[in-house]
Amino acid sequence: MKSLRQPTLLAVLLTLAGCTTTTRQVVLTGNVMVDGPNAMANGPPRDRVLWEYRTAAAAMCQGNYPLAKQYLDDALLTLGGIYGNDPNARKARSYFHAEAKKTFIGEPYERSMAYIYRGILYWMDGEPDNARACFRSAEFEDSDTENHQYAGDWVLPEYLDGLATMRLGGDGMDAFKRAQAVARGVKLPPYNPKANVLLFLAFGPGPTKFATGQYGEELRFHAVPSTVTSADIRVDSLNIPVAPTDDVVFQATTRGGRVMDHVLGNKAVFKTATDVAGNVAIIGGLTTAAVSHDQTAQAVGLGIALAGVVSKVVSAATVPAADTRSWDNLPHYLSFACFPLPVGQHAVTVQFLDPSGRVLSNLTKTINLNITTTDHDTVVFVSDRSVTPQTL
Amino acid sequence: MSMYSTHFNRMKPLFSRISVPLCGAAAVFLMAGCASSGVKNPSGIPVTHMNADEQGFVAGTGVESQDLVHVADKMARSIVGIPQIANAATPPTIVLQPVDNQTRFPINKDIFLTRIRGELNSQARGKVMFLARSQMEALEKERNLKREGAVTASSDPGLQEFKGADYFLTGTLQGLSTRTAAGTSDYILYDFHLIDARTSAIVWEDQAEIKKQGLEDAAYR
Repeated sequence: MKSLRQPTLLAVLLTLAGCTTTTRQVVLTGNVMVDGPNAMANGPPRDRVLWEYRTAAAAMCQGNYPLAKQYLDDALLTLGGIYGNDPNARKARSYFHAEAKKTFIGEPYERSMAYIYRGILYWMDGEPDNARACFRSAEFEDSDTENHQYAGDWVLPEYLDGLATMRLGGDGMDAFKRAQAVARGVKLPPYNPKANVLLFLAFGPGPTKFATGQYGEELRFHAVPSTVTSADIRVDSLNIPVAPTDDVVFQATTRGGRVMDHVLGNKAVFKTATDVAGNVAIIGGLTTAAVSHDQTAQAVGLGIALAGVVSKVVSAATVPAADTRSWDNLPHYLSFACFPLPVGQHAVTVQFLDPSGRVLSNLTKTINLNITTTDHDTVVFVSDRSVTPQTL
Repeated sequence: MSMYSTHFNRMKPLFSRISVPLCGAAAVFLMAGCASSGVKNPSGIPVTHMNADEQGFVAGTGVESQDLVHVADKMARSIVGIPQIANAATPPTIVLQPVDNQTRFPINKDIFLTRIRGELNSQARGKVMFLARSQMEALEKERNLKREGAVTASSDPGLQEFKGADYFLTGTLQGLSTRTAAGTSDYILYDFHLIDARTSAIVWEDQAEIKKQGLEDAAYR
């Protein structure tokens, strides 16, 4: 009996050893600052960039800029190196895997936002040239829309490209004109060489994704109407009304069809076709087998029915579902203001306003600024989700 | 023959018959259990030493180490051959000025100048001298300590011995980027120049061009 135990034990050990790497699941708490690091450490690697995006955005709102930088840098490294063969992307295109199998890098509006956030952080660190590089990449990510009318039509990155160029001693007016050309109904303020405080604003809930179609193969975007549609900045004797310059929902919905939509469409057609063929084969085969008295015809009928079952199995295994993973803590609107402040302490108040112009007092933010020099820019990021007060 | 050995001999074909399907089943389970779904390279990729001037298996269309090596080598060789340096009676002094990055790629812009300086210092062997202007704060502090007598000095600390620049070395990175259904194309022009600090004349300029193209998987398009 001893000899019988050995192969059995071996079989059990081999089976256990082979089963250790399976899909990892992460229990979410709803707090991005907890879920993000947990998901990056323990979740599937294909979602890593998604959680880096989300955690970076949350860190920006908490004023934890070094953390936001760390996550955005890592995410942008992945984003910049996606060329060529990618086994996960190949799986996502195959009939039997969902699109969500691919490594998440986001749709173009999400990639652009990652660059915009990183650009703001570079500027905060006194690197306007690298900030400009990020703003240019943000426009670049948006340059391959189906309808060219919407290609590279972010306003703020273009405007900031020109402002950074001016700060670096160049002439940023080309970029300013491009920004003004795509600004829908907003008159952009001319560059003020004396303005040393740059205030970036983000407000309202951003777009999320959902799927429609028979098999969820059509990617769609959804946005809750924003209760905040503008802002008002008060500092010293200045009162600066701020209208949105960019609508992130607009950017999400104007990209047009993707190559992947075509792939998912083909998957859906294949799923339907194999399902229908399976039904026909099963019914036809079983009917033939039932009504025929000839043994050969019965065998052929059963064979056809079996092929039908196989076809149904193939249909059931086909996954045309679109990837609906979303960077779900993006803002709806982006805006910007810049103004001059002398050296010293300043209290900046940012009020967010509803569509009728009423102040949403529960969202009001205070930023205590200590301007130590007017030689370089002081950069402030404020969201309607930011902590308050901030001291910079 | 003992009773045990008789029993064993009868059991032997039975063990063989059982162990073969058991091992087969284990192999099937093993293969099924190793699907590693959702895990890319579950066993990892060992550290691979690469030369800085070769393209690795991780590549994008931006500025990479092989570009840095290529550009810095070309510039260092080009600078050392110009008459202002090759024929100078005393080694000219050079100050590095920040590179202007106008591309769409955020980079550590000092890295090019650092490598050019390193190449010149190691290869040109004293034909040029770089001034550590980025360390001026620490240098001035040290000089003041010497002047105050707080630390020792090997020469008269009252004398002005900080050198002035004969030349400024700086550069510009400019890019052209295109994205279509056929892929992404990034062209970067690396331009470096040496400016005479006295006359503002550009006494040397050289360029390197690198163009890269790539197409991401259709799943990302």
